[in-house]
Amino acid sequence: MSGWIIFIGLILLMLTGMPISIALGLTVLAFLFFMTDMPVEIVSQRLFTGLDQFAIMAIPFFILAGTFLTHGGVARRMIRFASALVGHFYGGLAMAGVFACALFAAVSGSSPATVVAIGTILIPAMEKQGYPRRFGVGAIGTAGVLGILIPPSIVMVIYSVSTNTSVGKLFIAGIVPGLLLAAILMAITWIVAKRRNYPRMQRADLKEIVASFWDAIWGLLLIVVVIGGIYGGVFTPTEAAAMSAVYAFFIAVFVYRDLKLRDVPRVLLDAANMSAMLLYIITNAILFSFLLTSENIPQAMAQWIIDKHLSAWVFLMGCNVLLLIAGNFMEPSSIVLLLAPILFPVAAKLGVDPIHFGIIMTINMEVGLIHPPVGLNLYVASGVARMGLTETTVAFAPWIVVMVLYLLLVTYVPDIAMWLPNAIYHRPG
Amino acid sequence: MLNRILDHLEEWLIATFMALATLIIFASVAYRYTGDVPWIWQYTQYLNLTWAQELCIYLFIWMAKFGAAYGVRTGIHVGVDVLINRLPEKQRRAGVLLGLGAGAFFTAVVAVLGAKFVWLMYGTGQVSPDLELPMWIVYLAVPLGSALMCYRFLQVAWRFWHGEPLPSHSHARVEGLQAEGRG
Repeated sequence: MSGWIIFIGLILLMLTGMPISIALGLTVLAFLFFMTDMPVEIVSQRLFTGLDQFAIMAIPFFILAGTFLTHGGVARRMIRFASALVGHFYGGLAMAGVFACALFAAVSGSSPATVVAIGTILIPAMEKQGYPRRFGVGAIGTAGVLGILIPPSIVMVIYSVSTNTSVGKLFIAGIVPGLLLAAILMAITWIVAKRRNYPRMQRADLKEIVASFWDAIWGLLLIVVVIGGIYGGVFTPTEAAAMSAVYAFFIAVFVYRDLKLRDVPRVLLDAANMSAMLLYIITNAILFSFLLTSENIPQAMAQWIIDKHLSAWVFLMGCNVLLLIAGNFMEPSSIVLLLAPILFPVAAKLGVDPIHFGIIMTINMEVGLIHPPVGLNLYVASGVARMGLTETTVAFAPWIVVMVLYLLLVTYVPDIAMWLPNAIYHRPG
Repeated sequence: MLNRILDHLEEWLIATFMALATLIIFASVAYRYTGDVPWIWQYTQYLNLTWAQELCIYLFIWMAKFGAAYGVRTGIHVGVDVLINRLPEKQRRAGVLLGLGAGAFFTAVVAVLGAKFVWLMYGTGQVSPDLELPMWIVYLAVPLGSALMCYRFLQVAWRFWHGEPLPSHSHARVEGLQAEGRG
């Protein structure tokens, strides 16, 4: 009963268009005030203690690192390296774009940031080479979703915070699906390009490959710092995030010099703006899930689903549908914060691995990012390419189908996600 | 005039908190891994950086509370506006004002509750585990940040009422990064 009141209240408040964080907070406030005899004072305390975890602080650090990287010339050098490797295939520049997105995703934890960094440079360049603009926008905008699948990933950090799973394991589990998706997107690009005879670039000689690799080495080393640092036990994920922020600052300002020292305060402010918004939703969502837990709602829902004798197969299908629908209304972090605490206990009871479930959620979020009305990648791509939203949507349409098929593949073949973490964390003997 | 000072103070504070938190974690990691380098150790052996994590968390909480207020001004707090944007102009305006009003109401309530809680903490004299800072000062972020946020909601609502557009944040525009062609 109380569950219905909470959810209907929340949905009504959200539909008025007020910020999601405020809707969450007001729901909790109203429920505590009218329906329980818990002291309302608990709200102000929870708003503080909810954030009092070192793991959450990886989010502002990754955002800061990402902001420095978008300004620095890292993206441009990664594109050069990628074109040297795959530019001579059909649709070479487009394939290089997907490849560069994958490389950039390995240093950045956000999808829209990946689209901005790679798309700003590559979409105009593709047009100049004679690609239809739609194709470039669709390919790069979609490849941008790799940003949250290939570690580091802000969405994964949020999932791990709201379900108490290990960030390190999630990151490791994202690697194989991320690379697989990059390979699939590149293959599709190649097939389409071959059929429509899109331009190829001249094959780069070994000298250019080596030279572009050296040029991009500072950015590529960041991958080693983050993944190697976490996996090798050198840093905690939060520390790795802080190190990558300092490192990104250093290469943007002193090595590649794309950013002047006097621009740094503005970068800090941009990153702080973004992080504060996320942290504010996070605190209110933690408040909300505290209310749900104290009303025993996730447990009751889990029991209800167990009593229906649903199989994990059906449950996961239901989750995918629910998450895809939610993707029509909210952006990824809010969805994960709201739904992960509710769905996670059920998944655990049905024997779905928490890490696998995290990867499924992440891919669902990726699909949400590329379709209207709230897909952020869509807006960013349309902004970067100066293309109307309707046309951008058309450009993305075929890629959405690909992403949904890919989602089903990873959902029902758990080994794609679980193979690497299992191999690393449960070594025999 | 007062508004301008407040704006600058707000921006300056959150950017500084961000930078400080980053430097502190960097320093603590660097400190951990330079322990066996004699010429560095010679200078750093008397330092004790066990409080770094705690300070980082507190800095970010302060950054988050004041940054949330700054975010109202930059229009970064998004809601589900799919429905409301389809309403006729007059109803849409009413809806937007309602949303802003709800924001102001929630933050005002939190500011009052937070102030009460700080008062309570002041009475207990509790201190933080590592830094031994008085907890009431640390918790002050909640009422102060929330009050500022409430002010920002009212400010945006006032301006919107007088015909100014709502602030909106574009994720696609990165200052200093412009499109360029290649090859």
